[in-house]
Amino acid sequence: MDRRPEAEEKPRAKRVKVSDLNPKDNPYLAHRYEEPATNKFRRYATTAAMAKEAEDGPNNFFTGQPLSQQYFQILEARRSLPVHAQRDEFLNIFHKSQIMVFVGETGSGKTTQIPQFVLFDDLPHIHRKMVACTQPRRVAAMSVAQRVANEMDVDLGDEVGYSIRFEDVTSQKTVLKYMTDGMLLREAMNDPDMRRYSCIILDEAHERTLATDILMGLLKEVSIRRRDLKIIIMSATLDAQKFQKYFNDAPLLAVPGRTHPVEIFYTPEPERDYVEAALRTVLQIHASEPEGDILLFLTGEEEIEDAARKISLEADEMIREADAGPLRVYPLYGTLPPHQQQRIFEPAPPPLRPGGRPGRKCIIATNIAETSLTIDGIVYVVDPGFSKQKVYNPRIRVESLLVSAISKASAQQRAGRAGRTRPGKCFRLYTEAAFKKELIEQTYPEILRSNLASTVLELKKLGVDDLVHFDLMDPPAPETLMRALEELNFLACLDDDGNLTHLGRLASEFPLDPALAVMLISSPEFYCSNEILSLTALLSVPQIFVRPATARKRADDMKARFAHPDGDHLTMLNVYHAFKGPQAQVNTKQWCHEHYLSLRALQSADNVRTQLKRIMEREELELLSTPFEDRKYYENIRRALVSGFFMQVAKKNQSGKGYTTVKDNQDVLLHPSTVLGQDSEWVLYNEFVLTTKNYIRTITAVRPEWLLEIADTYYNINDFPKGDVRSALERTIEKIRRKKLLKGRN
Amino acid sequence: MDGDSDDYMNMAIADPVEKRGKETYTQRRIRKQREAEIKGRTKSKAELRAEEAAAREAALSKSLDASNKGYKMMKMMGFQEGSALGKGDGRTEPLNIVVKEDRGGVGLDSEKKRKFREQVDQEAKRVKAEEGNYRDRVKKEREEKRTEGLVLGAQKVAEKLDTEADEAEDSKNTPTAAHSPARTPIIQPLTTRALTLHTLATYPPIILTPAKHKPSTAADDTSQSRVGSSRKVRPTKQINVLWRGLVRHREEKERERRMRYDLHQSLSRLPTYNDPTESEDDKQALGKNNALEVDIEEEDPELEEFDALGPAERLSRLVSYLREKYHYCFWCKYRYPDDTMDGCPGATEEDHD
Repeated sequence: MDRRPEAEEKPRAKRVKVSDLNPKDNPYLAHRYEEPATNKFRRYATTAAMAKEAEDGPNNFFTGQPLSQQYFQILEARRSLPVHAQRDEFLNIFHKSQIMVFVGETGSGKTTQIPQFVLFDDLPHIHRKMVACTQPRRVAAMSVAQRVANEMDVDLGDEVGYSIRFEDVTSQKTVLKYMTDGMLLREAMNDPDMRRYSCIILDEAHERTLATDILMGLLKEVSIRRRDLKIIIMSATLDAQKFQKYFNDAPLLAVPGRTHPVEIFYTPEPERDYVEAALRTVLQIHASEPEGDILLFLTGEEEIEDAARKISLEADEMIREADAGPLRVYPLYGTLPPHQQQRIFEPAPPPLRPGGRPGRKCIIATNIAETSLTIDGIVYVVDPGFSKQKVYNPRIRVESLLVSAISKASAQQRAGRAGRTRPGKCFRLYTEAAFKKELIEQTYPEILRSNLASTVLELKKLGVDDLVHFDLMDPPAPETLMRALEELNFLACLDDDGNLTHLGRLASEFPLDPALAVMLISSPEFYCSNEILSLTALLSVPQIFVRPATARKRADDMKARFAHPDGDHLTMLNVYHAFKGPQAQVNTKQWCHEHYLSLRALQSADNVRTQLKRIMEREELELLSTPFEDRKYYENIRRALVSGFFMQVAKKNQSGKGYTTVKDNQDVLLHPSTVLGQDSEWVLYNEFVLTTKNYIRTITAVRPEWLLEIADTYYNINDFPKGDVRSALERTIEKIRRKKLLKGRN
Repeated sequence: MDGDSDDYMNMAIADPVEKRGKETYTQRRIRKQREAEIKGRTKSKAELRAEEAAAREAALSKSLDASNKGYKMMKMMGFQEGSALGKGDGRTEPLNIVVKEDRGGVGLDSEKKRKFREQVDQEAKRVKAEEGNYRDRVKKEREEKRTEGLVLGAQKVAEKLDTEADEAEDSKNTPTAAHSPARTPIIQPLTTRALTLHTLATYPPIILTPAKHKPSTAADDTSQSRVGSSRKVRPTKQINVLWRGLVRHREEKERERRMRYDLHQSLSRLPTYNDPTESEDDKQALGKNNALEVDIEEEDPELEEFDALGPAERLSRLVSYLREKYHYCFWCKYRYPDDTMDGCPGATEEDHD
């Protein structure tokens, strides 16, 4: 290959010396002397051999810079990945078709390698386009981008970058962009044809996230308008036919993963208590199975922490009494801080004494360990058959995480985790008959389990007007769409004919739930947009209060210091204000630790706030505050809350126990975490969560007058059936009327 | 002004005003109190939870309808009620929400349900089977009962005829010769067997006085005629097995009667009390002579075997015995003069229908 050999011979440092006036080294004149490697490269006509040569250097194909030692080390490892063997095959299909489906099991290297294969063929740096690769999770987008930047010997944010909500690490140079699927969807709202991309790769499509499903629907349409756009659907599981069929029989390439056989065991009888059975199984494996790490799937943080504690205790006893090897237990769930998540990659503990029984680690994880995270060394998988899954039902408008049985596909995925390094075993804590009869084939895609209000708003913005016939892979129930349209109508984002209103257009600019966006947009009317901005940011991040099991009382006491008598929203605001105060800013880490607050959540709220503020400024929304001394300071904030959340209001029951949600008439209890007493007649809530009880969480007391005034369409008295709520509203109307009369007389 | 109420053309029939009898003050007070109690009672957690779940279920099972604003918008987009979105092959109903309330493993609930269903099925099957058999069973029982009655009747006839035949024979032979050998073996087992039995039954062991049991044949004869009416007493084992059961049953009854009597007597008298004034005959009459007592306690495999036969079989044996020996037809209730039994339609009941 004709490249510039001198670049390699010369040390890099020398090259940039001004004294050395070789014009060939002047980057500004580089184009004159360029006999670029890319010359031979014709778009959609390259081969694996060409790419290999280019990868071999000595200079970086994209930057022209000499490649580092580290690069070549990684290159070795990359070439041993299963996908590499089929590079030519991949390129052939890629050349010939606009849309292709790629199936590669976890560990095949598809997420990191396929986008690079595309780069060497699509040549986006020449054509001033980009390649996008979507990920369902923010963390994955970030970490994969970092990994690929290393592999390509570039800095993260240069040629390879990532873009996730509230964080964009890309530049003019970027040719490969990892991003969350939601982010690509948002981009499409301002660029419906996705002109900046020459190729879009939807990774982990088998996870069927809401955004991926919508993107597939969009791309199916865009692909007709833009014949030059290449689309690759990547999936880790074998239901690829469904994708092929959906994309008009797109060609398929499957790359086998590197897996070993996994022996599957079932229980003879259904288990009475799956957690208990899981603990028993783990300990039994530790006692009687040969070396190898254990992966146990449980449903949530509390369950996992509890199980981890119990297993550690029992294992210690086994060491004392039965000379068992050491067992180290690691919990793993989404809300765990990253450095603690990293600990799962620590090697298993060594034997307690030389020649003693080998140690092992046991990872207790939610289903994040099912597909997204790859942990080597796992030989035993314990699968109780449950996971926490999001559910939504438009009839009662509850969106919640509920423990449900997993699907067959999930169970297979879990079992597969045992065969990563050597033949493994999977212990399913249910009967074979239950596996066959009780488990559904595939997990329901997220689109069937979500509130679609914000999706509908996005689609409207994208110009999809006929939502009824929009071709989705798994269209949701009509009632879900009905409810979403209704909610958007009440929020005045859609008019009665279903057209986007000005407010709706504005709301779609914010990467927020419509209710939050509307609240934020309306907040200047209530002279508290600064505060509502903070509050919106706080509601967009994970829980800011930390309540460790070991110090519940202390944590509650600390929270009480910030408590506002009118509710949780104002309490959160107090926390944020304190966090931004000079006292806390001296040492935020220390301060948060002392006050049982999550620094990570607060920092990320701070970041979100900055991003949202930028959008507000762009949209020319005023940033106002009522003076703190004004007695209406808090009232204004509460009223602004009503402007977005008037559909999430509950009224106290006459019997005095519990609340009933307005319109849906669901009996609910105030979540125990609230700072609010039990004596507020009307409350506004952020979430309706279903556990074994119906709870409303993050609550603020409101006045019925505000509801009637701010959301008069929703609180149209004629729409309410006879009952407690209606009569209470009638009383309020009467009260307002009399007040007015009185005023008129004066 | 409410126009409707005055419209005499109105077809609506007014609800009859509930006529309540005059409620006294106390009644009203109690009623009010009760109502208030019901209203004001704080519901238990379980009740609240049940209500909560019920409200949830109610809301979940009710689909959104045309009154929903979104419905109108969808209509404008060309939505057809009852159809799915997209290309029309999607779902029409939202996914249901199932709240898992315990830690039961996958398949536990359905296993429980399956077991429960199985039990119910089995129970239903059993009841059904029993229902089907009931009539047959009742019919069979009734028939058996009737046959048992017929057996009894036939036994009585056989006894009568046999006794008559015996007596006729006796009158030919010397009475002692016939009786003495029959008498002696009865006393033999008495001492041993009766002892155990009677102590067990706390029965006064009066029979342990065998000395008294040396009645002369003559005395025996006379007493027999008095106590046992015209029937001649024989050790039951020598009685024809066909009607031995009858005798035995009678003896059992007799013994019971005597036991009751003795018990009654013993309240005032020691059971062993021997009234010197009592004559042998009196003793016999009062049932203090218990010679036969022992016999009925004895095991009788022959009789047991016979009783084990079905009533129909026993009846047929009795009937044929009577026919063969006495030319007596149980069904004609007539003793024919010779074995041709001229005029009898046959050996079975059906023949006589």
